[in-house]
Amino acid sequence: MDRATVERVARAAHITLTEEELERYSRDLEEILTYFELLDDAPENAERGINPIEIADVLRDDEPRMDIDPDVLLRDMNTYEGYVRGPRLS
Amino acid sequence: MNYLPKLKQINDKYRMFHAMTPDTESDAKFLFSAKDNLTSIDMETCAGSRILGGYRPAFDATAIAKLRDAGGKLIGKTNMDEFGFGTFSTNSGWEIPRNPHDLERACGGSSGGSACAASALEGHVSLGVSTGGSICCPASFCGVYGIAPTYGRVSRYGLIDYGNSLDKIGVLSSDARDLRRYMDVIKGKDPKDPTSCVQPDGWGEASLKSVAVPKEGIEGLSKDVESAFRKFADEMVRMGVDVDYVDMPSLKYAMPAYYVLATSEASTNLARYVGMRYGQQEGDLSLKFDDYFSSFRSKYFGDEAKRRILLGTFTRMAGYSDRYYAKARQVRNVVINDYKRVLADHDAVLAPTMPFTAPRFDEISKMSALDSYKADYLTVPANLAGTPHMSLPCGYDPNGMPVGMQFVADHWNEGVLFDIAERWQSEFELKRPEVSV
Repeated sequence: MDRATVERVARAAHITLTEEELERYSRDLEEILTYFELLDDAPENAERGINPIEIADVLRDDEPRMDIDPDVLLRDMNTYEGYVRGPRLS
Repeated sequence: MNYLPKLKQINDKYRMFHAMTPDTESDAKFLFSAKDNLTSIDMETCAGSRILGGYRPAFDATAIAKLRDAGGKLIGKTNMDEFGFGTFSTNSGWEIPRNPHDLERACGGSSGGSACAASALEGHVSLGVSTGGSICCPASFCGVYGIAPTYGRVSRYGLIDYGNSLDKIGVLSSDARDLRRYMDVIKGKDPKDPTSCVQPDGWGEASLKSVAVPKEGIEGLSKDVESAFRKFADEMVRMGVDVDYVDMPSLKYAMPAYYVLATSEASTNLARYVGMRYGQQEGDLSLKFDDYFSSFRSKYFGDEAKRRILLGTFTRMAGYSDRYYAKARQVRNVVINDYKRVLADHDAVLAPTMPFTAPRFDEISKMSALDSYKADYLTVPANLAGTPHMSLPCGYDPNGMPVGMQFVADHWNEGVLFDIAERWQSEFELKRPEVSV
């Protein structure tokens, strides 16, 4: 995989790569994708969905409940007045 | 044996635990540990990653809660490859577990700490998680029994996802009887994981009478593993099991299909780790959100995590997803059908678990990423197919390192795996490592 593609993929994945990482991942991914060319010759079959077993919808009653105390959930988060703190949007 | 008073010294030597109990005694019915990608209320949960450093879950994973309800005491969370990304447990952001049979060798991955604990601690059971072979591989390298059940048999609630369509929670122990004993406890329908709610009651067939050996599963083996396999196949015949050799041509496609699906799913699952809500959160909030997220992910994800995120992001991108992701999904169906075809006439598929015994750390450091992926070619097919599989210890190489054999059964048919493990245990003398501290 060429460096420009690795840079584009890394940007989409929110990862900033060093020069050394760019070189290394470019080389590694090229080797891996070359091996994956084996898939081009593989037979196809579309009889199942995304899971290896058949999955049925499971619905529960629409009743409000509190499994976990929100204060416990917020305990280890970086918060301000009960809100999770995050970076600015612009 | 009460090993709790010496647990810290044991861990200093073998490094199986990321977090562990400070208690030195217990009146619990049994002691257990769990892979560190299963959430636990009373212990930090990091899934082998620095990015989750300091994460204290607010709830127990269902499998851990069930073992506690059955009278078990959680004594430790086991070291692992970061998010399960590895074959040797060397891709950890924390400690790397040492093989109890030789400290210079790996435990296997990614449930390496669990296999280490099951091997070194007497009467201990450990929960592992398998996505592409992460229970059977370390079970083989550490000389213990390990089972990864049918996909959906054990609720994944509380499991930190690697690949949602592949992850399975199972059990490792030095005692074959523990597989049935503790799988009975942790299995079952859980509305918090819909994929667990289609399972039938019971474990399927009760006894194993025949196995199929795929020719593709006995290629590329080391001399020692090949020799151990031949001997084990003879033992199976002596025990009254029919052994047939078959072709399973789809197996050669399983490895690339697995890595495409696993990394595709992983790259989306790991998108949630951005320096908010879990683990590491001390960042510069004046940064724009793209830069803020990238700063955490670049700093705290390890080398292999970044590689798999890049690979999985690429294989899902417009222009490439049909060639990789969509094709891999189709290949998974072909592999499942190949298993169904063979298992229509046999109770299980048999092959060695790993092509070699536990390597030394210096040997692992010379392997490329692709070399490491290729080492999984025997464990990946059953994981891709979601079929239950088990590794049992069958012998030792000239260095004294364990060799494992893997049985794969049809969906929901774990009963034959329990049966052969229990029968084999009465025939085989397991060599426990000498644990001195």
